Amino acid sequence: MPLRYIQIQPLFRKKINFLINLIKAAKVIRRLLLYLRFMKIILQQVYPSFLDKELINHSQIWTKELCFSAGENIQIVAPSGSGKTSLIYFLYGLRNDYEGNIFFDEKNIRSFSPEDWATYRSEKISIMFQDLRLFPQLNGAENIEIKRALQPFHNTVEMINMAKDLGIQNKLQQKTETCSYGEKQRIATVRSLQQPFEFLLMDEPFSHLDEVNRQKSMQLLQEEATRRNAGIILADLKPIEFFKPHRTLYL
Amino acid sequence: MNRSISYKTIAGLIDTGGKKRSKFTSYLGLCLGVLLLLVAVQMFININQLIKDKNPRKNGYDYISITKNITNQNMGQDNRFTTADVAELKKQPFITDAAPLISNQFRVKASAGNIIPFSTDLFLEAIQNDFIDTLPPNFTWQQGQVTVPIIFSADYLEMYNVFAPAQDLPQMSAATISTVNINLECYAPYGFQTFKGNIVAISDRINSVLVPENFLTWANKHYGNAENVPAARVFIKTTDANSSELLNFLQEKDYRINKDKTKFGRVKQVLQAIVTGLGSFAVLVIILAMLLFSFYLQLMIARSKDNLQLLITLGYSPGWLSKTVSYKWIPVYGIIIAVALLVTQLIQFFFRHSFLSARETLSPMLNWSVVGLAVCLFVLCITINYRLIKKLLYHL
Repeated sequence: MPLRYIQIQPLFRKKINFLINLIKAAKVIRRLLLYLRFMKIILQQVYPSFLDKELINHSQIWTKELCFSAGENIQIVAPSGSGKTSLIYFLYGLRNDYEGNIFFDEKNIRSFSPEDWATYRSEKISIMFQDLRLFPQLNGAENIEIKRALQPFHNTVEMINMAKDLGIQNKLQQKTETCSYGEKQRIATVRSLQQPFEFLLMDEPFSHLDEVNRQKSMQLLQEEATRRNAGIILADLKPIEFFKPHRTLYL
Repeated sequence: MNRSISYKTIAGLIDTGGKKRSKFTSYLGLCLGVLLLLVAVQMFININQLIKDKNPRKNGYDYISITKNITNQNMGQDNRFTTADVAELKKQPFITDAAPLISNQFRVKASAGNIIPFSTDLFLEAIQNDFIDTLPPNFTWQQGQVTVPIIFSADYLEMYNVFAPAQDLPQMSAATISTVNINLECYAPYGFQTFKGNIVAISDRINSVLVPENFLTWANKHYGNAENVPAARVFIKTTDANSSELLNFLQEKDYRINKDKTKFGRVKQVLQAIVTGLGSFAVLVIILAMLLFSFYLQLMIARSKDNLQLLITLGYSPGWLSKTVSYKWIPVYGIIIAVALLVTQLIQFFFRHSFLSARETLSPMLNWSVVGLAVCLFVLCITINYRLIKKLLYHL
């Protein structure tokens, strides 16, 4: 019996090794496939139809061919009036007064139905608006919960921990209309992180935050994006010191 | 979209307050409208059921006698039915058959011999046999036969029994009258001939003194020298004496009918018209109530416009929102229609109990079609509500 075992062993090991290699290869292929499956946003000569030609000509985004992949952090630096908020609205489907085409995964977003947008907004794209868009009559927790309930990525405990990290845990039971703008910005930050996403769009997210809170918020955002293998598209007036973009584009 | 998410999550964001009065008015209007419609349909069914069973029928047919209406204007003319008139009657789809009542064209005198000292001028009529309700096999006559069988009207027998005691005549039952020998004296311009009349049956249907048709045809020719005489009365055979087509046709031709036979038909016509009017009014009330409710919904959505818009911006699907918001009214509509149905049932119960207690033909329960209608109205309300909210939401 032991003799036979010794005889068989080398062959058996070979087989095991082969299987292990096969699994390794499968993992690589899967990652590759996953990468291919990642959401891509393609901008094809997009520019706002209402903007001055002068501004359009000097832009690194308007009228250009661009591709953003999930997992990529993009910083968009834009002075006031260059169409920063418009770009975010185009990408989120709130406005369509632009020339050129925008594609999500090879689908032209002009052809999206309200239901398509609902799917993208609850599963693939999250947003933090410049004007925040919180329900003023609801408290902080309710505002966050309304987004969380739609497509929960975190449980309630994790949600409260995030609020604690940003120092707004005592604002959760307070109506948002009585909160300061900085507090509202942090509530909106937490809200934007309650769903799964492949892209997080941010429009001047830290305008009313001090340095410490900016750093904490940015850290939380990047952690969450990494967890989802998602990309952040952050548009602001000037570069954000704690954000580490793969690309910076001037609008 | 998360499946466990419910209306509760967004309840605080939809302003359902505001014009409470218009909301409740529309609920009340809808309830009344549905109630009216259900009651109207149930009553329509009741009327049909009650009137159908009203007339005793012989083998499923009604036999009605019609005459031309004699007025001051047409008094001088011949108001009898020509062969063409009878043919026209026969042609109508709602008349199965028509037969003229031929009358005698010569003088007939009847006397009952010595037992009953009674003598009178009489009239004789004849009709084709299948119109006679009580036809005995011996109701036949052949030329040369002295005995003539007679079918006597039950009404005439009753009349006779009323005046007989005052005239010192014996009262008679339907059975004994057949034993009375009647002498029929038929007068011709040149003299008269006596036949022996024998009452062989009593008829409830035909108010007349009937003799076999071939006897009267022969006698008219023989004594009165008349052939193909127009008839003053025509009997029609129909499946439904109360059908509105028949009544309308007779009215149009200005034919008089035995009102008693078609009385219920008239009542039915009037009642059905009233109930149909009530039903149409109910439909109008329902439409108005739905309209009022749609205004309320529009107002509600307009008041919650910002919140709803923000929910859609956050990724809430407009389809889900319209479904969820409109489902909120399912219990409300359910209660409204259930209440209307219940009240209709109570009315039906009350109607049967207080007006028709002896009548077992009417079911105390609602007809299935009324319940079906209530279910249809419920589905209709929910669908209209959903479509309206969906339309409003997609246009935000």
